[in-house]
Amino acid sequence: MRIGILMAGILVFGVLSGCSSMGVEPWERDILAKEEMQLTADPIEAATDDHIYFSKEASSGGRGFGGGGCGCN
Amino acid sequence: MAAVVLAAAVAAAIKGRAMSQRNRRSITGALAAATCTLLGTSATESVQAQEELGWDFNTSLLYYGEDDDRVQDISFKSLSTRTYVDDRYLILGLTVDALTGASPNGGLPQSVPQTFTQPSGKNTFTTPAGELPLEDAYRDTRVALTANWEQPLGRLYAINVGASASKEFDYLHLGLNARISRDFNNRNTTVSGGFAVAFDEIDPIGGVPTGLTQMLPVGDLSNRRGSESKDILDVILGVTQVVSRNFLVQLNYSYSDSSGYLSDPFKIVTLVDASGDAVRLLPPLPPDQGPSHINYFEHRPDSRSKHSLYAQGKYYMDGKVLDASYRYMTDDWEIDSHTLDMRLRWPVGSDKFLEPHLRYYSQTAAEFYQLSLPEGDPLPEFVSADHRMGDFDAITAGLKFGWKTGGGNDMSARLEFYRQTSNVSSGQLIGNQVGRDNVPDLNAIIFQFGYKFGK
Repeated sequence: MRIGILMAGILVFGVLSGCSSMGVEPWERDILAKEEMQLTADPIEAATDDHIYFSKEASSGGRGFGGGGCGCN
Repeated sequence: MAAVVLAAAVAAAIKGRAMSQRNRRSITGALAAATCTLLGTSATESVQAQEELGWDFNTSLLYYGEDDDRVQDISFKSLSTRTYVDDRYLILGLTVDALTGASPNGGLPQSVPQTFTQPSGKNTFTTPAGELPLEDAYRDTRVALTANWEQPLGRLYAINVGASASKEFDYLHLGLNARISRDFNNRNTTVSGGFAVAFDEIDPIGGVPTGLTQMLPVGDLSNRRGSESKDILDVILGVTQVVSRNFLVQLNYSYSDSSGYLSDPFKIVTLVDASGDAVRLLPPLPPDQGPSHINYFEHRPDSRSKHSLYAQGKYYMDGKVLDASYRYMTDDWEIDSHTLDMRLRWPVGSDKFLEPHLRYYSQTAAEFYQLSLPEGDPLPEFVSADHRMGDFDAITAGLKFGWKTGGGNDMSARLEFYRQTSNVSSGQLIGNQVGRDNVPDLNAIIFQFGYKFGK
């Protein structure tokens, strides 16, 4: 749990310190709006990979929720 | 004609200067209608074009195949998204997996054939000398369903709530999830938080074996009990930040807590003598009656807490998109892992692209991972010889090709190769195990065809 609090702390610190000075104006979002620039550009491929690696490795999640759903692990 | 409509609307606007608030709205409507007429479209069509209401279907067919007749999976997946007005979405997911093949049972290759009782307790199977024991009665169909609803909440918040369920022959999963996000800094920063709960139940034929009890002869189910269950809670906190017009980053922290039956009921650990060879069961049983050697069912702790830190960046450079991510995971089973993933989407002409993909994964072993159990030592509290609990590295390399069809829909095909290489520490090896390929590499091929259509 201590690791969790530490990691959450790093996250909050990162947001408060750096983010407010970054970014673009609303009319500069042409590239960010492209489908290939979405964080999960191909959700079905991402779900497939998550499932394959969940069943073959001891780690899961990170990008999204990682738990359960299969008797393969 | 359009000019006449516009003139009429403007005249109405001038005439109605002193009108009530309600009437003012209708003037705005008239102006909007006039503008739309000028543009050659109706007001309703305009709204629909902007929001693109209707269904989108994202489908795929996957072949996943491991070498040496291990697991083969043919899987159909679909994600159907219904878009409603005001950025509200219903997302329905369906997966159907048809699995066949064999899976390593945790046993070790030996210089003599080995006979094992099937997990069902009804039959036996024999592994030839020098081969990795594979439990070959692996045949299953899995159906998984997900449903999520996503919508804005006020001007800056958005929520996503959903449910999931999946069913295999001997496994049932039920889950709920929810996520909320809020935009800051002119929508350049998005902070999100969410949780998921899962209730899973395993009910194998013949029942779940008690951990660290011996594999018994055919028909003897005295160390079995009925079904077992596990509960999982996932919590995720994330920040997405627009850095510049062509650079976007995400940072997530996630915590996962599993409790209940976390062992694999089909996995065993072999008892070995001082020379590292499997200990024979005495008096011997006929090969169709029970195991030839002494094996124990694995036994993992009944709780596990995992922490993950995940960072992803997307960078656009002159039409090409670099997608790079890194994940660090650590848990209280002493497994640490690092995952690096990179994709580069490279446009070819105006409507095609190539996307090479590289992934590197490395994990340390769980504290209770043991290749085998030494004869004469007291049995440990927890043990697993499941390769997935061991120390290994894995590499994925692949290429995807995407193109637009004549009708404007998206198609893609990707081919990838996955290799897992085990790193068994020399301290784990006993006698003859040194120099033996105790955990052979796992090689798999992934081929996926994708088709997106709708609206």
